[in-house]
Amino acid sequence: MKKSKSSGSSLGYLTKEGFRNLRVNKLMTFASITVLFSSMFLMGIAFMIYTNIEAMVAGIEQENVILVYIEDDTDAVEVVNLKTEIMNLPNVKSCDFKSKDEAFEEIKKEYDNAEYLDGLENPLPDSYIVTVLDMTQFSQTVAQIKGLDNVMRTRENSDLASKLASAKKAISVVSLVIIALLFIVSLFIISNTVKITMFSRRLEISIMKSVGATNRFIRWPFLVEGVLIGIISGIISTLAIWGVYTLGMRFLSRSFSIMGKGVDITVYLPYLLGAFLILGIFTGIFGSATSIRKYLKERKFVELEDL
Amino acid sequence: MIEFKDVTKKYDNGTTALKDVNISIEDGEFVFVVGSSGAGKSTFLKLMMREEVPSKGTITVDGVVLNKLRKRKIPYFRRKLGVVFQDFRLIPTMTVFDNVAFAMRVIGTREKLIRKRVPYVLSLMGLPQKARSMPNELSGGEQQRVALARALANNAKIIIADEPTGNVDPQMSYEIVDLLMKLNENGATVIMVTHEHELVRQFDRRVIILDKGNVVSDGGPLVSDIATAHINAAAEMNSAPVEETIDFGAQPVAFESFTPDGGDAQ
Repeated sequence: MKKSKSSGSSLGYLTKEGFRNLRVNKLMTFASITVLFSSMFLMGIAFMIYTNIEAMVAGIEQENVILVYIEDDTDAVEVVNLKTEIMNLPNVKSCDFKSKDEAFEEIKKEYDNAEYLDGLENPLPDSYIVTVLDMTQFSQTVAQIKGLDNVMRTRENSDLASKLASAKKAISVVSLVIIALLFIVSLFIISNTVKITMFSRRLEISIMKSVGATNRFIRWPFLVEGVLIGIISGIISTLAIWGVYTLGMRFLSRSFSIMGKGVDITVYLPYLLGAFLILGIFTGIFGSATSIRKYLKERKFVELEDL
Repeated sequence: MIEFKDVTKKYDNGTTALKDVNISIEDGEFVFVVGSSGAGKSTFLKLMMREEVPSKGTITVDGVVLNKLRKRKIPYFRRKLGVVFQDFRLIPTMTVFDNVAFAMRVIGTREKLIRKRVPYVLSLMGLPQKARSMPNELSGGEQQRVALARALANNAKIIIADEPTGNVDPQMSYEIVDLLMKLNENGATVIMVTHEHELVRQFDRRVIILDKGNVVSDGGPLVSDIATAHINAAAEMNSAPVEETIDFGAQPVAFESFTPDGGDAQ
């Protein structure tokens, strides 16, 4: 009576069996890969949308400026001094002067019927346009500017800043929830697929059990199968996301110029591939392991009326 | 040796499949187990293969007390047994060679040994030239012989045949039993479950008759009147037409011509 040892040759055989499973059950393999690919693809797209929104939010933040109106009777030297003082504040990125005339011209441009403004005396003050480095310290910076001499008042949208910050948070939570849901769905589907595969191979399993194959031996090819499905799906998903994203962005940036070119996906590809491979292998192992355990427990080899 | 001692098997759904069964089968014996459906035949097999555990009593197979056998050890125990089924259970996508080799591969046998052993068991079953055929290219009898070759592949000491002739034509049935006899002569213990009483009568071996979970007869080849009545009842329950049975019995000439080596000799 020979005892099974985990010799190299049998490990090779088992791995080969896993590959054979893929080939023999073409339809099931195709179904699993399609399903896993779909979830990974959606996850990847969700991730890319998230990174783009984040990039856009960062862009908008940069445009969030503080308008500093200067007292009308301030002389030229004091105006220049004010700029130095503002620039000396921590967290100030830039400070550009806009004269009252420039500001008035801008307003005239914005309105179609600006003729009635022609007769008016320019009511606008001179101003500085200040941008900040760190949005989270926006209100402190505003307070510091207000404390400076010759500042009539400031106009800023600190609301927008906090709104953007909370929007970013919401977006990341939603993305994470979507990714988590898709992950659970994939896990469920792959475990179901392996269950179906095992059911379709119940003849082989019944023979294995009747000739005394250990559960480890029965399990291994299915694990290999699950892992292979995971790896293949991961690679296909990465390639598909790359292609779809590049094409999609080309189309979007042509149609909506404000979007710009979007985030460069090649930076993220290695991470996506890595994450998908880990996810695929994990789902493969976990999905098949649970269904195999359940299957091996339930099935007897003598009764196979449904074969 | 296979020993059932006061074995009762009651399933969770309340049915009692076997009641206080005592059976002892010596090494090297050839035993027919006969009974109609529901008599407890398949429970008997399941208990012997440790698919089920008895509710009461002890079962010992080749020195292994099945009641005490740890779950992890079950696969190793099963390697002592070679099982053939009514429906052959050959894997349709594998060649005859691979079907036989499969039984060896799944217990981790080295490929070198497989390449030696498979042709040997196939020739033992009279199928040396069929190694590359697919199961669907073979007749029912040939398929069952492949299944037998598979059962032998791992050098099983005990051959369990569950209705092995159920799906093959009558002539081939004799041949299958004849092959089992041959294996028995080579030292294997053979337990064949069947309901084909005419077939059983052709062979001069011990017959155990099960009915409603009881052993109603356990005796030599010449079965008693009670046993015959049970066998006949079993045959009727399996709805074998009477005429066919008569035809069947009137074919010893065909049988003899089919097995030139006279496999039924003791």
